[in-house]
Amino acid sequence: MQKTIYTFLSSVRLTIFLFFAVAATSIFGTIVQQGASPDRYEEMFGGKLLSVLTFFNVFDMYHSWWFTFLLLMLSVNLAACTFRQAPRVIRLAFRKRPVTDDAPFVSSPIRKRFCSRSDREDLERRVSSFLVSLAGAPVRAEKGDASYFFAEKGRFSRFGMTLVHCSVLVILGGGLVGAVWGFSGQMTLVEGGKSDTVTLFSGQGTVNLGFDVACENFTVTYYESGTPREYKTDLAILNNGETVLNDTIRVNHPLTHGGVKFSQATFGVAGGYNFRVDVIDEAANEESTVRMNRMKKHALPGDDLSLAVARFDPDFMGRGPAALGVLIRPGTEHDIFWMPKDLPIRKGSRIFTFRDFDTVYYSGLQVNKDPGVPLVWLGFILIGAGFITHLFFSHVRVWVRIAKVDDGHEISIAAQADRNRDTLENKVNSLVTRFQD
Amino acid sequence: MNDAFLVGIVTFVYFFAAFMYLVAFVFRRTGPAKAAMATAFAGLLLHSSALIVRWIESYRLGIGHAPLSNFYESMVFFSWSIVFVFFVMKKTYRTSLVGVIAMFFAFLILAYVSLSGTVDCRIEPLIPALQSNWLISHVISSFLAYACFTIAFGLSVLYLFKHYAPAGFARALPDSSFLDEATHRIISIGFVLLTVGIITGAAWADRAWGRYWGWDPKETWSLITWLVYGAFLHARIARGWTGMKMSLISITGFISVIFTYLGVNYILAGLHSYL
Ligand code: HEM
Repeated sequence: MQKTIYTFLSSVRLTIFLFFAVAATSIFGTIVQQGASPDRYEEMFGGKLLSVLTFFNVFDMYHSWWFTFLLLMLSVNLAACTFRQAPRVIRLAFRKRPVTDDAPFVSSPIRKRFCSRSDREDLERRVSSFLVSLAGAPVRAEKGDASYFFAEKGRFSRFGMTLVHCSVLVILGGGLVGAVWGFSGQMTLVEGGKSDTVTLFSGQGTVNLGFDVACENFTVTYYESGTPREYKTDLAILNNGETVLNDTIRVNHPLTHGGVKFSQATFGVAGGYNFRVDVIDEAANEESTVRMNRMKKHALPGDDLSLAVARFDPDFMGRGPAALGVLIRPGTEHDIFWMPKDLPIRKGSRIFTFRDFDTVYYSGLQVNKDPGVPLVWLGFILIGAGFITHLFFSHVRVWVRIAKVDDGHEISIAAQADRNRDTLENKVNSLVTRFQD
Repeated sequence: MNDAFLVGIVTFVYFFAAFMYLVAFVFRRTGPAKAAMATAFAGLLLHSSALIVRWIESYRLGIGHAPLSNFYESMVFFSWSIVFVFFVMKKTYRTSLVGVIAMFFAFLILAYVSLSGTVDCRIEPLIPALQSNWLISHVISSFLAYACFTIAFGLSVLYLFKHYAPAGFARALPDSSFLDEATHRIISIGFVLLTVGIITGAAWADRAWGRYWGWDPKETWSLITWLVYGAFLHARIARGWTGMKMSLISITGFISVIFTYLGVNYILAGLHSYL
């Protein structure tokens, strides 16, 4: 009983079934929209059908119990199969036959036999070099008055397929690690804003990062045609209010901090403006540029002074844009004044010039944590190595026997390769032709 | 010189090469076969130069990128891949029939893009998600895989044809066992290339979207394709299936390829609707 279960679990029949089963069911998820809101499904299906579909979790089918089960079965199948094949693979790779075995000359798929009048020593030398060019340095042995040569190369190539199979397990393992310990969500940050909370996809709530992510600035450039050329966000990572890291992320250039990856996903207009004001402090002989949002105080260097923009008028009294500045001094009245664009306004020893304004954007970040990624990469590298082994190397074995016959020597050649047999056969043929000359 | 003009010429060259291969096959002569090969090779060179011209042109426009980024470019590259794979694998096939298949499909694709007039051949700037070096390796490996599967599809259709065609006609076609073996060979190469295509795609998705796999329709269909061809290889290697069943799996696989390439963009929607 146990044996039949093991045979079943390690069978290629099951593999083929699972391949087709995963492929066929996967089609559903590409047709039925995944992860939409329940109301939408209610609207689309409704009633009995809806409850059946919900039971099978068709709306998030790639994470459903039955799909997970199929993948699990595939992993078990793969592990069992690899395990069952292992002894055979090892035997094929390392099996030692006595060099003086005659069986290969009868059973090998590639066989040649011809006679030569050359003297023995010369023949042996040529056989050796023939073997070297096919499969490396030969071993020599004698039996009766015949001499036997055997050369072999590429034993490791037997493990190429095993490596491919094991790598798939590693990749699936990486996927599992990510599914259990990772998360995937998004964050929307308005310029000047910050947050420590990630909204998970598929409505599984939120995750607190334990640090703040602030969007300091967002910029987008466009091609002439109006499609975005590049958009990027200047991010800051803050620990308890202290900036610990500054970086700019763009599409294809994410930032990773504390195992969490922030990728630029979307952007949009948040509404409102950012303002740029030049400040000249004549007393301290200093110039600075201040960037600020509406209704946010901005501390000025020097005294306990801060500046804010309380209102903005894109066309102030018919003379273009202007910002309403508020100068805040502790203990005294606020100083409130309009700053038409590019017009210096003096307040005490300071001169304020409202230089520019731009739209406030929000930046949509995709936030992922996936501790399984290194395993997946490892699996990718290993599967590549396995395929290279499988495609470009083969386990080649060549036997030669030189036996004395009446008027010279009979030379028998036998060769085997686990793959690319024609290549070997062609090589053997052309070498034999040269040999015979 | 305009690359679309070159592609137009290549279209006719491929048609001519397909025809010559057909002549070579029907009359079993080496003369036409050699001429067909020379024609096909000239086509491949011209085709390659069209790709290079377009590449250079994109830099002249200040939006330089490899010509692998929109539907037109991918179709032209698809056709190129078929001819390229054919030349690489040519030694394995000792019949002009594979030449007919390869050149015919290469011609068909180019004819659609360059003669139908519905495919926009302008060089477009790259949107941010496509600005990645992974894109190049991803597209190259995927389309080389598709090219292998296309040739395999042609062979499998011939297999079915041979099975059902009247005896006299069927006898003219190569042996079933040859068709079967040739299909298997090219699919095992295609499978490896597709695996590389999926891996580079995953690496790119990881950079661009923060996750290497997200079950979006294009990704899922590439997995479906991969599984179908995986089933093909195992059915053959480990269960020893041959013939009819294998041709049917190969044809199913090709339908899946077409769906991955076109169906997802035109029928389903998803993140991937660039090409
Ligand atoms: C998703 C997972 C798998 C992948 C990617 C995979 C891939 C491959 C590939 C590419 C081949 C070589 C085919 C050829 O040379 O044409 C192969 C062979 C094979 N596979 Fe798998 N395979 C997988 C799962 C399995 C499973 C689950 C089993 C076991 C039940 C299995 C059993 C075999 C066997 C027995 C061979 C023949 C090996 C040989 O050359 O001696 N494979 N596999």
